[in-house]
Amino acid sequence: MDSDEGDREPLSRRAEWSDVIPLPQDDGPNPVVPIAYKEDFRETMDYFRAIYQADERSPRALCLTREAILANPGNYTVWHFRRLVLQALNADLYEELDFLQQIANSNAKNYQLWHHRRWVIERLGADARAKELELNKEILSRDTKNYHAWSHRRWVLQALGGWEDELDYCHCLLEQDVFNNSAWNQRYFVITRSPFLGGLKAMRESEVRYTVKAILAQPINESPWRYLRGLYKDDIEALVNDPQVFSVCLKVMNTKSNYIFALIMLLDLLCNDFQPSQEFRDAVDALWTSDTHPLDSDLAKAICYILEHVDSLRAGYWMWRKSKLPQAA
Amino acid sequence: MAAREWNPLDYDVEEGEEEEETPSPSALSSPLPYFDRDRHVAFLEMMYNLMPYHYQSQEINRLTLAFFTISGLHLLQALDRVDKERVADWVLSFQAHPRSKAELNNGQFYGFHGSRTSQLPPDENGVSAHNFGHLASTYCALAILKNVGFNLSTIDKESILISMRNLQQPDGSFMPVHIGAETDLRFVYCAAAICFMLEDWRGMDREKAKEYILNCQSYDGGFGLTPGLESHGGGTYCAVASLRLMGYIEDDLLSKNASSSVVNVPLLLDWCMQRQAADGGFQGRANKPSDTCYAFWIGAVLRILGGYKFIDKVALHRFLLTCQSEFGGFSKYPGTLPDIYHSYYGYTAFSLLEEPGLNPLCAELGMTDLAALGII
Repeated sequence: MDSDEGDREPLSRRAEWSDVIPLPQDDGPNPVVPIAYKEDFRETMDYFRAIYQADERSPRALCLTREAILANPGNYTVWHFRRLVLQALNADLYEELDFLQQIANSNAKNYQLWHHRRWVIERLGADARAKELELNKEILSRDTKNYHAWSHRRWVLQALGGWEDELDYCHCLLEQDVFNNSAWNQRYFVITRSPFLGGLKAMRESEVRYTVKAILAQPINESPWRYLRGLYKDDIEALVNDPQVFSVCLKVMNTKSNYIFALIMLLDLLCNDFQPSQEFRDAVDALWTSDTHPLDSDLAKAICYILEHVDSLRAGYWMWRKSKLPQAA
Repeated sequence: MAAREWNPLDYDVEEGEEEEETPSPSALSSPLPYFDRDRHVAFLEMMYNLMPYHYQSQEINRLTLAFFTISGLHLLQALDRVDKERVADWVLSFQAHPRSKAELNNGQFYGFHGSRTSQLPPDENGVSAHNFGHLASTYCALAILKNVGFNLSTIDKESILISMRNLQQPDGSFMPVHIGAETDLRFVYCAAAICFMLEDWRGMDREKAKEYILNCQSYDGGFGLTPGLESHGGGTYCAVASLRLMGYIEDDLLSKNASSSVVNVPLLLDWCMQRQAADGGFQGRANKPSDTCYAFWIGAVLRILGGYKFIDKVALHRFLLTCQSEFGGFSKYPGTLPDIYHSYYGYTAFSLLEEPGLNPLCAELGMTDLAALGII
């Protein structure tokens, strides 16, 4: 982010910097991909290099790192040096958090900023936890899928706790947007890791009910289908035997709309020895209206064939899946 | 050129709908119905000679920008635009050299700096206090050297490899610089690619790295950048390409009826296939918009597994052309401004599609087969 050239006073004209000789970048002979630096950027970095070289850990150095960060937020050496200065000055890290929150908007996806934030919180410890989780929510409210924000949130929970309201928070986000895959992923994280819940197996039944509701509300939504499958991670047999699972497939197929994921789930169940009742056969048959190309008698093959047509973007994949099915006995 | 802030390595997660990047139908003139190679070559040549000031915030990753430019020209069969010797000399000047063998275990990484900005001149005793490399810059440096046909056996690989081990964490992941930074799959990939290019695995504990990678496979089959994080196109590429480079998965797995594998392949395949959206492009995560670069990140995973043949190439081709810029290069979304990162991954995506006039791609190294094999 360029500082507004009109507002900024060049460092060379600031009294407090008069003793410093800026250290220009030595691009060397024949540089490749040279960058057409703007004057204020170049100057800021020249002064930074001087301070960095001299290892000056002073209040003015702290101010300069701020300017350098605003001009160049991806520069990890500037951030690193700022940390050294903060430590040397025994600076107030709550003020540092304020600084980070101020620049969070325009740097919401900057790795160095998030790493620095984590460094600060590590030092502040559990006292900072509640506020940090709230500030994190603020950032997520502007972009509910910000990968960095989620990564940081998970780290805070694991390092400092604060799990109590997290499942509710996931539910809130899903009420706002049931298609939010990040919120589903966080939900999975909470049910498997929260010390206040019983772990995946203990949570499974209630989570399946929750997920089935979400599926029925929007069967075209990939996230809850994946989540449902995920609830049975490493336990396929239980997935196949859970009436809630095969029932939701049937329900969705019977609506005759948005049934692609229902077919895919049923296919997976069949590949894992699910024994379908006649209802399933009838439901699948009802989705296919062509007389010229009758469906295969093998249900799994029939499903692949339908998917080739209704999920035609992946026709090649469904044809291959069909070819991989065991030949009927 | 793109005015927003970005770090090339951040791009694979930077997918938010920022205002200035939202595709606007009114800005779309009807796209060219073909891949405009000449215009892309001109775009890259311009970058090679001078990058616009908008890239100044990326100066710390200058070597990455150079990699995109030079490897991009190679993909477009226009490497003759590059002065290979000059480039090799320039890249080699970024290597951090230890003063003695003893320094190799002082915790610093003697790889390559990413740029001059932090490569400070030595003091009167010849000591350079800020003499350390970055994993991603080192990957880019070696990749550029391979692109210009430089013989890697002549560099001090010992220093790189031995000091690189200092960056590997107890959980198997890698930190990119010794001064402290985030650890995630991107740097596991860089480490694996570095060892692969140097043909020497002393730089890392492969078993530990493999364990970390497997811990990153999500409940839906894709891989997140760290264990438990949402599965993501960039993370999935780093995971699968690393496993392939390290030798834990064989090439074209799907055709070989391999029944067991270190990763859950059917789930992974299904997740990857579902990433092709209705508009023909690829998304990085479920329920997110299509973005040019995922045509590479996900496409390359499918290529490695042997499943690239399953995608709808016509639909993808059509989508990518809507991201082709009239200025040359590619943008993230249709109708937005191009940038060097999305341009590069646009070219790799077209190479995977076997566009005439482009060199074939080595999916696991993210550059031309020719460069990967050292045939320049």
